[in-house]
Amino acid sequence: MRVLVVEDEVRLANNIAEALRERCGFAVDCAEDGTDGAALTEFKHYDLLLLDLMLPGLDGLSIVRQVRRRKDMTPILILTARDQPAQVVELLNAGADDYLTKPFDLGELLARAKALIRRGKGAPQPELTVGRISLNTVEQTVRCAGELIDLSPTEYRLLEYLIFRPRAIVSARELLEHLYDYNWQHHSNVIEAHISNLRKKLRAVGEETTIATLRGRGYRLEAPEQQR
Amino acid sequence: MSTAAIRTHSLSRQLIGGVLLAELLCAALFSAVAIGHEMHGRRRAFDVMLRGRADSLMGAVQDAEDPEDNVTVDPTELVLPAQDVYEVLNPSGRVLGHSQASSGELLAELSASRADGSFNFRAGREYYRAVRFEGVRVIDREENGGYRRPVTVLYAAPTRDLWHGAVEAVQFYVLASVLLLAVTGFALVWFLRRRLSPLQELAAIAGRVSTRSWEFVPPAAVLRTTELAPIALSMEELLKGLQLAFERQRRLTGDAAHELKTSIAVLKSSLQLLSMVPRTAEQYEAGLEGLQLDSERMEELVSRMLTLARLEEAPVEQSEACEMQPVVREVAERLRPLAELKQVVLEVSAAEARAIAMPTGDAELLCSNLIVNALQHSAANGRVSVVVQTLDGVTQLRVADRGDGIPESSLPHVFERFFRADRSRSRASGGAGLGLSICKAIVERSGGTIHIESAVGTGTEVTVNLPARQISAQN
Repeated sequence: MRVLVVEDEVRLANNIAEALRERCGFAVDCAEDGTDGAALTEFKHYDLLLLDLMLPGLDGLSIVRQVRRRKDMTPILILTARDQPAQVVELLNAGADDYLTKPFDLGELLARAKALIRRGKGAPQPELTVGRISLNTVEQTVRCAGELIDLSPTEYRLLEYLIFRPRAIVSARELLEHLYDYNWQHHSNVIEAHISNLRKKLRAVGEETTIATLRGRGYRLEAPEQQR
Repeated sequence: MSTAAIRTHSLSRQLIGGVLLAELLCAALFSAVAIGHEMHGRRRAFDVMLRGRADSLMGAVQDAEDPEDNVTVDPTELVLPAQDVYEVLNPSGRVLGHSQASSGELLAELSASRADGSFNFRAGREYYRAVRFEGVRVIDREENGGYRRPVTVLYAAPTRDLWHGAVEAVQFYVLASVLLLAVTGFALVWFLRRRLSPLQELAAIAGRVSTRSWEFVPPAAVLRTTELAPIALSMEELLKGLQLAFERQRRLTGDAAHELKTSIAVLKSSLQLLSMVPRTAEQYEAGLEGLQLDSERMEELVSRMLTLARLEEAPVEQSEACEMQPVVREVAERLRPLAELKQVVLEVSAAEARAIAMPTGDAELLCSNLIVNALQHSAANGRVSVVVQTLDGVTQLRVADRGDGIPESSLPHVFERFFRADRSRSRASGGAGLGLSICKAIVERSGGTIHIESAVGTGTEVTVNLPARQISAQN
């Protein structure tokens, strides 16, 4: 998952980004002003937008309006130091999904971020299952018929991204965009290597669900037909 | 509750009371005049009647047919009201005849008068009006031309009926004026209520104004009223000013809260991030260092906010004064290491200047804020010049840099609190957007002016003009 943090207070932005990377395994990009932030949202790489309300350049509310005008459904979480009801109502009506008032609890921010991403992908619970595989987004663990599978952080993130969209074709480019931030060198063979490792680990526990490679198109998480 | 402490007056009640009182007085005066006039006429008629009755009494004075040729009153043919009193006397004072029904006291009262004409007297409870005149009765006309017998006639009748009659005659007028009084009273209440309704509307609209709803639009009826229009207009003006002040205050409080909450959010998130997972000693050390910086920045923010609050709290005291020249030199010396660090040339040209009404501490703060700003906006190998001079008795301080300048769109806002032309950058350099606000507060507190000129790419110049200190008359 990839998150955009638009916050002019650099220290705060770095803390949030660090926590999201460390605790959720998300890729995080930071923007210091509204104009840069709005420009970054146009790529639609993000699974969550975290916006400060008072920003130089373009304020949070304007970014929300821009994003929603493009029919972009990316969940938006607003950070605000002001909690007047009228402002909250305006924000939510403009298309924001949730808000947190500063100073907030970092743990709460992470929980809300995960919940918003989950909800944005149509999953009501933190546990997602395909075939015998179940993935817990809170614990960041993957089990096969109750048995824990040991995955590296990147493998977990790959599986997490794919499991939200079972049987859909996801391009390597999309995976790159959603799993890595801008500080990463984009090489699709990195993805290929991780996918291959993931396949091996799933096969090792006897799981029939696998990740198919569709040459030139991308990857697909496939569960065996009879288990549907 | 002490609502009884303030006695309230109702304007309409007072007006109605006043008008009704005046009307009542008029009615009473009118009734009194009418009664007086009526009484006067009736009294004259009474007097004529009295005289007539006395004359008929005179007619009853006849020859007594006695050897002395006296006269006497023959009551046989006399028809006079029973309550009337009369007496006929001869010049020697002998009573020739009197009303039979009258008591001795009554007759004594009647005969007490010695002068001719009309007079009033009182006997017991009854009031009487009387007439006295001298008459002559000639008897035995056939014998040597007759004998002249002078007599004094006294005739009185009670005036009770006179008063009652007058009152009865005037009664109509009295009743009519009481009725008129009642009708005009009600009409007045109705009229005043109607006419004073703009006042009530004004009160109602003014009552609805609060710090949450500032809407105050005087109704047309109020604006059409000569007496109310100035009140309504000045209220409108006052409320507009108050609303602006309130909104500015609210925005400032909001901005201050935003800054403080953001600072706390930084501290809190840094702490929570650090304690989220067990970390190495180096990570803890780095985290603590960051926290140290965060808390220092917060301390700086709070101290600047408090400085600003202090500056706006009270005007400069009479005794506080300083000279700009030594202050500028000292501050520049103190900031020279920073200038060297940034590789910026700091030039100071300070001529002799007059004393200004500014505490030394504030003057230092002003100079250091302006010079630090200029240094921070200068690139390496730049130049910052500070000039102090006296022009027409006004001390002028100019601080100019050749830095990147301020965009034209930001220029009108640079003195606003928490405003940052380049937010992220000044955040990074520790500014809270209060430096220039503090400068402005210091200058204005001493009666001076401050303005800024800037062009992107050329640099910025801040000019402060400070009037010489006024030596007050009593010193």
